[in-house]
Amino acid sequence: MRSASKNTLLKVVILGDGGVGKSCLMNRFVSNQFDEHSFHTIGVEFLNKDIEIDGETYTLQIWDTAGQERFKSLRTPFYRGSDICILTYAIDDKTSFNNLEMWRTEFSYYADVKENNQIPFIVVGNKSDVIAEEREVSQLEMETWCNENGITSCIETSAKNASNVQEAFKMAVQHWLRLESRADKNETDINDTVDLTKKSGDNRMSCCVGSSDD
Amino acid sequence: MVEVKEEEEKKQVAEAAAEIAPKEDEGENENESLPTISESEAENEVSSSSDSDGEPERDKALLIGVAFNIDELYTEILYIILHNVGCDVSLEVGQNSLFSYAQEAFRIPNNKHRQLMDIAESKQDPELMINVEVIEAKELKSKDSNGLSDPFVTLYLASNSSHKYNTSVKSMTLNPIWEEHFALPITGNSTGDTLCLEVWDFDPAESMKEKFVTATSGQHENELIGRASIPLNTIPASGMTMWYSLDKKHKATRQGVLKVRVSFSSGKNNQVAQQEHRHMRKIILLHELEMSKVAPHWWCGNFSSQGEQLLTQHIAQSGLWPTEVALCSYSVYADVHQKHPLSLTLFTKLLEKLVKPLKTEDISEEELKLFWEATRKLLPSCFSVIRKIRKKSTTEKTIMKQVIEVMKILNYITLLEPNGIDLFPSTLYPWITSREDGPNCDILSTLKEAVCRGASDWLEYLIEANSRQNETDLVKLQNLIQLIHLVRTDLQKSIEYYDKLFLDHLKFQYAKCLYVFYQARIATLCEPEVTEICKTLKKLHYVGYSFNSAPVNEDPTDDPLLEGTSLFEVYLTLQRFVMLGKGLCPAEYNSFHIKNFHKWFHGGVTQWLDIAVYKALIRIEKAVELDKLVHVDTSVKYSSSAVDALTIFYQVKTFWQQLNWPDVEGSYTFIAKIIDDICRCCVFYADKMAAKVDGLGEVEDIYDKKFEITNEWCLAINNIDYVRETLEPFTRELNMEEVLKQIGETKGPLDADRCKNTLENVISNAIDTVRNKIIELLEIVVNKMGPSMKRLLIEGAELCNQDSNSVDRLMMYVDNNLSTLHRELNSENFNRILQILWDQLSEILNDIIQNNLEKRRPPSFFANLHTTLNIMLGSFKNPDDCSSCDALQRTEQILKINGLETADLIHQAYLELANLFEKSGETKYGELSFRCKFQNDSLIIEIMNARDLLVMDSNGTTDSFVRIHLLPEHKFIGVEKPKTKTQNKTLFPLFDETFTIKLSTEQCEMEGGLILFSVKDRDMLGYNNQYIGEAFLRFSDIPRTDQDLSSLPQVKKWLNRPVTMDTNVIKALESRQGDKQAREFLKKYKQRMGS
Ligand SMILES: Nc1nc2c(ncn2[C@@H]2O[C@H](COP(=O)(O)OP(=O)(O)OP(=O)(O)O)[C@@H](O)[C@H]2O)c(=O)[nH]1
Ligand SMILES: [Mg+2]
Repeated sequence: MRSASKNTLLKVVILGDGGVGKSCLMNRFVSNQFDEHSFHTIGVEFLNKDIEIDGETYTLQIWDTAGQERFKSLRTPFYRGSDICILTYAIDDKTSFNNLEMWRTEFSYYADVKENNQIPFIVVGNKSDVIAEEREVSQLEMETWCNENGITSCIETSAKNASNVQEAFKMAVQHWLRLESRADKNETDINDTVDLTKKSGDNRMSCCVGSSDD
Repeated sequence: MVEVKEEEEKKQVAEAAAEIAPKEDEGENENESLPTISESEAENEVSSSSDSDGEPERDKALLIGVAFNIDELYTEILYIILHNVGCDVSLEVGQNSLFSYAQEAFRIPNNKHRQLMDIAESKQDPELMINVEVIEAKELKSKDSNGLSDPFVTLYLASNSSHKYNTSVKSMTLNPIWEEHFALPITGNSTGDTLCLEVWDFDPAESMKEKFVTATSGQHENELIGRASIPLNTIPASGMTMWYSLDKKHKATRQGVLKVRVSFSSGKNNQVAQQEHRHMRKIILLHELEMSKVAPHWWCGNFSSQGEQLLTQHIAQSGLWPTEVALCSYSVYADVHQKHPLSLTLFTKLLEKLVKPLKTEDISEEELKLFWEATRKLLPSCFSVIRKIRKKSTTEKTIMKQVIEVMKILNYITLLEPNGIDLFPSTLYPWITSREDGPNCDILSTLKEAVCRGASDWLEYLIEANSRQNETDLVKLQNLIQLIHLVRTDLQKSIEYYDKLFLDHLKFQYAKCLYVFYQARIATLCEPEVTEICKTLKKLHYVGYSFNSAPVNEDPTDDPLLEGTSLFEVYLTLQRFVMLGKGLCPAEYNSFHIKNFHKWFHGGVTQWLDIAVYKALIRIEKAVELDKLVHVDTSVKYSSSAVDALTIFYQVKTFWQQLNWPDVEGSYTFIAKIIDDICRCCVFYADKMAAKVDGLGEVEDIYDKKFEITNEWCLAINNIDYVRETLEPFTRELNMEEVLKQIGETKGPLDADRCKNTLENVISNAIDTVRNKIIELLEIVVNKMGPSMKRLLIEGAELCNQDSNSVDRLMMYVDNNLSTLHRELNSENFNRILQILWDQLSEILNDIIQNNLEKRRPPSFFANLHTTLNIMLGSFKNPDDCSSCDALQRTEQILKINGLETADLIHQAYLELANLFEKSGETKYGELSFRCKFQNDSLIIEIMNARDLLVMDSNGTTDSFVRIHLLPEHKFIGVEKPKTKTQNKTLFPLFDETFTIKLSTEQCEMEGGLILFSVKDRDMLGYNNQYIGEAFLRFSDIPRTDQDLSSLPQVKKWLNRPVTMDTNVIKALESRQGDKQAREFLKKYKQRMGS
């Protein structure tokens, strides 16, 4: 049971190819557990968890979706109304990285958000614990892709050794906060589009955190 | 040519179908097309299948297949008329009328007629025979002594009585059965002749041979039982079977009865006669059809009396057997039927007669060939009935009748086992798709094809008729719905009317066969359209999901909504269709492609779920708008919108039940989605409810503006709570358990557990979210009360003593509001709001205290505030609960402290230290030993020693002394503060000094009285004594006794120093900067702390 409080509720959706470790990420974040033999998710899984940032508590309602293609129509209904979208790939799986574009499009379509850059996407490259020989996507590639797609937050994580998992979710919320405050400002600021792109470019490097053991 | 016919048929079917198909712009055509169909059909049937090569159609029709020369045949007819046999000839129809009938039927000009008549008249008389079957006799008179007879029958023609015929003898019976046949040649004119029948009793004395001889030689040794005579002119040409009375001369009584069948025959060649008969029958039939203009499908075997007469005469004069006649008729009718459809009943009747002989009797190869030839001609019309079963120009009853006949015909044919006969040549049956080499005689598979073909023609027409170019998706969907609906209706009809017929007659599963066809066709039709539409569904835009925002004012008749709804209708229609299949074809069901129809709709489900939520949100908004905020009835504490909200949720549930999604993985996921959606609807409802009551309760009176809790506010809270309470039971109704069970079965218990956890998380998340929403509302309410409470509290503090009115008002205010809350809210929410109220109150108090401390308000202000607060708390209904609120208690404590006069406050500081030190263990400052007692009005203190004192001097020792203070200071003014001598250079000083302090009785019994021992290090000069530490002893701990001090136990106390300024008391003192007493205390306090 959640605490009786008026925490800000944030709906978080985790997307990415089947097997990149979405469910593991969520379980690591929520219950600090890791299951080596995790099953493919059926449709969706749901957990919630409070997270504190700058003294404020946020309740994250996390929807972990099934990445396998056959579940497409089962997961898409959950996109609408999300506050944060975590695009996930595995650094030892290039295909999963290449599919990020597909995931982003799918999300944007079904979430029914008017402008792309209003969606708080963050990109997470999971399985950063794998040995260097197995790595297929470099951190630079990730950053470049994010930069090209106007995504300002990205991070490499490992659900296995817990590295950067808390940080990833924290980053997602902070990212949301930035967008919120910007959105508030935008209500008076008509000429915002130029501003936004400029800002996102400037902020990019500061928000990208690489995995520590790289 | 066959192709043309196919086209024609299609057109008819199509026209028929147009009637039930949805109409677009064919309103007027309908009336025209209806009556014309039957007419044009007749024409089609005749003209399209006959070879038109210029000859006048009638003559040509006559000639077809007639190997005979018409003239010869006509001559034969005339000859038959001339030699009419039987009784019925001249009575019924005159000879002349027969001649003119024949002339007309054969279209013979007069001169030719006369010419042929001459030939007929000149021909010699026909060789006629009378056939007699002696069948049986009954009730014969007995002639023997044993009461029985041994009868036999003798028969002869009167004109030739010497030529007698005898039956065998049946011994010892009065009811003999013979069943024996005789043919008696007729000589000369038959009309005057008589057939004589005599029944005799055989004389057993004679030998068989003798009997025969005597019988024939006319001697009368045998005894005559009776006789009957039949004039030949009483016998109809078609023959007859009759019982005749047996008479005997001079005997009035009947001698018994004899059953005989008599008919005429000729010595003609049977083959020739049959052929002749067929031609004659055909010509006559065609003539009659033309004359009577009987409608197609109507003629069922009734000729005019002339026609009948001619045919009967021919049968009689040619000696044709009934089976032969039936076969001739069958062959002729089948042939004519091809061009002019006759009633199918005609054929079933003939087949009924033919089946047995064909199976049992010795039928010639040629006759058999004739039969199958005819059957081949007959069958296309049968299958045509099946194919046109949906034709609307004919009534249901007519079609039913026809189908029954077809069933009978096909059943007879099946009984005859047409093995090896090519019944269904591809020229006649181009629509048979599965063909193997060799003759095709598979009736059931042809029937199946006919059934499918009929359904197909009909369906394709419907599709064609409904398709327009550039249809919108919406129209496409509606067409699909309509189409499936029509198909379902057709199936239902087939079940209702035809299925049993097919099953009973042919063991053919008609409806099932149809279903198998339809399901495949509908699947190929729907799948691409549905998947395509699902892919390109227009999005439903609305912001309903984000909190605090209403659906944007979108037109609910907007396309995406309609489109989604229509798509859902298609889904439901298909669902029903598939259910029908499950019942009809339980065995095949699993192999049906359409079984998985739901997969085509995958994309649509998202849209439907969205629509369900969208509609729910709109309805909720409306329900809140319409809510008059009064109790639904006296027994409940919520208003209409809460009930409406539930109804709205149940509509979502109904949607879910209708969807009845067959796939468990999907079901599970959609349940999670629905629960989450419902939660969002709840939140939306809560927000709308809050917004509705938001402005309520602000009242203004002569004193001020304030917020009064209203019933409406309470209703709003209750409503949301009511909805929240129903959330969990609601989710249980979504069939979760079953779905989880199935996941367990198909995917294993681990997956089922994970799904279960997720669902439970989603549910509790939903419940928590709504609960927090309620708390949010309660907080809003309390916040609204805040300003009034604050103002009243301050007023109370300022004016407490002068004007108690404000306290009364405060009490009234709180009391009023709380009683409203108590009355309207359930206890859970009431307790919640109290809790929030306490928190809020202590926040307000803290604020006031802080503010007023800054303003240096006198302690009396805080004391008043404290009193006011206590009054207020007293008015709360649940004083127990207030103790549970830590914040309020702490605040109250602060208030109490700040309300104290400085001297009391200082003493409070000492008391707190005393309490604190009480708990302390060993310290670095050392330990003091002493003994104390009260005796009379004196306090006697013996300072004994100290140990382990803190090193204070540079030489590693300490020069210590102890001073005794009595506290509270202001109560002991003028009382001495004795001190010991200084014990130099020791950490273990022995003081061993006793002091007696004289006190008043009140002082001795001073509540909270304390002894403070302060131990100091004496400075060389005595100016700057250093503080080592202190210890306290409560007056209440000092014994009152006359006992010697030395007999009392030593008291040992570790020395301590104050350690913190951060206590409420010290802070309160610090806030009294202007107070000298406080200032000095603090100064000393800091010294005691050491630096
Ligand atoms: N080495 C390594 N393996 C991981 C990590 N995270 C997950 N895995 C493994 O990757 C596999 C798949 O993880 P899941 O979390 O089930 O993948 P998923 O993204 O949820 O997959 P779907 O539910 O099918 O969409 C599991 O065998 C995990 O043990 C990680 O950080 N490092
Ligand atoms: Mg998963």
